[in-house]
Amino acid sequence: MSGAEFGTPRDLAAAYALGALDAPEAKAFEELLARDAELAREVAEYREVAALLALAEPASSPTDGLRTRVIAGTPPRSIASAAPRQRSAGWMPWALAAALLLAFWLGAERARLGTKLDQASALLSRRDTLLAQRDTLLQAQQRTLDALLTPGVELYQLTATGDPVPGVQLFWDRKRNRAIIHSFGVKPLPDDRAYQLWFIQDGKPVPSVTFRPAADGRAQVESIDVPSGAGVTAAAITEEPLGGSPQPTSAIYLVGKLSGA
Amino acid sequence: MTGNPGIPSDAELLARASRGDERAVGMVYDRYGQVMYAVAYRIVRQPGDAEEVVADAFAQAWRDAGRFEAGRGSVAAWLTVITRSRALDLVRARSRRERITDAARRSDPESTLGMGTPGASPDAAVETKERERRVAEALADLSPPQRAAIELAFFEGLSHSEIAERLDEPLGTVKTRVRLGMQKLRESLKPYFYERFA
Repeated sequence: MSGAEFGTPRDLAAAYALGALDAPEAKAFEELLARDAELAREVAEYREVAALLALAEPASSPTDGLRTRVIAGTPPRSIASAAPRQRSAGWMPWALAAALLLAFWLGAERARLGTKLDQASALLSRRDTLLAQRDTLLQAQQRTLDALLTPGVELYQLTATGDPVPGVQLFWDRKRNRAIIHSFGVKPLPDDRAYQLWFIQDGKPVPSVTFRPAADGRAQVESIDVPSGAGVTAAAITEEPLGGSPQPTSAIYLVGKLSGA
Repeated sequence: MTGNPGIPSDAELLARASRGDERAVGMVYDRYGQVMYAVAYRIVRQPGDAEEVVADAFAQAWRDAGRFEAGRGSVAAWLTVITRSRALDLVRARSRRERITDAARRSDPESTLGMGTPGASPDAAVETKERERRVAEALADLSPPQRAAIELAFFEGLSHSEIAERLDEPLGTVKTRVRLGMQKLRESLKPYFYERFA
């Protein structure tokens, strides 16, 4: 969430509807979305756009079997909506009665097996989703670890008074001009505020990402672009509006020299 | 698809389907099965897998129907979000298991353009065709970099920063492309939304 290009949360509505915000950005945006009906309407419209995107490229039609399969996956009817069954009249031939009983038993058995199958499918589906979520998390953690362990990455501390807490660790990969920050023990913020990172280059603040810490004061932001060229001598954190600011609007909360710059 | 007297709204059909009404399930499928399949196919690129994704997405939709909020978007958009999510899950799982060795058995889609499903009415098929034409035109009106950024986000599940890395472009540039491209699409495609917002 860079304040340099995005002045208001509304600017992120399209990206949110497309799924292009990373997890911390999406979480911060959803907090705002829950309270802002106008923003929710805007997201709904962008979701309509997203729903249409796939139509631009001709796709084959699904087979007829898919419709059958989807209908076969209809959830079991709730008991309340099941129609009461009527018994056959007593004068019907025994054979017909027996056939009806058999059909009834088969129907009940089919329903019982169908329910068990649905339950098993639902369980498998839930486990698939869980596995996929864990896989995504693991991949993200691996990417972070790879980035931190890249040769030449330097670690700097941004602090309020020199004590480590509250603080931000800044991992700077000078070769790629990228950084990762990790906060700990920073104070909580009102819903409409965020922390913003600034790089001090040639004595002037250059706006970078915003972030909101979890309840324990922790936050992590990756793939941060560091201003290119020489003259980046320090980094600082200030408190800003949720979408970030082009210039600092509050006093520096945390700061650290980037020695060797 | 709402508001016509005598024709059940999408939200009504969704509620009925989740309670086990097979007829409602069939009607929801006829309305949106094709577009869900198109989304799934664009992501998984394999017809069999795309059908698997659509079947899973419908199963999830019936389970989660209680979470659908009619005032916050259309059923079509909601189903699309579910389908995209399931398709990306499948691609990630496939990638994890490194079973992308099936290039040989990957068959190209037949050139039967999406004319709706067998159960869809002729009117609905014409409407779908018109939508496809307009969406293709609207996307063609975007600059190629805007279109690429939007498609990487939606069909490959990449975030702004991942797109920037993939395209080796500055993050701010990518954000701007996504935002301006989506604004342009919103204006040009508004008449073709599945649901209009006051």
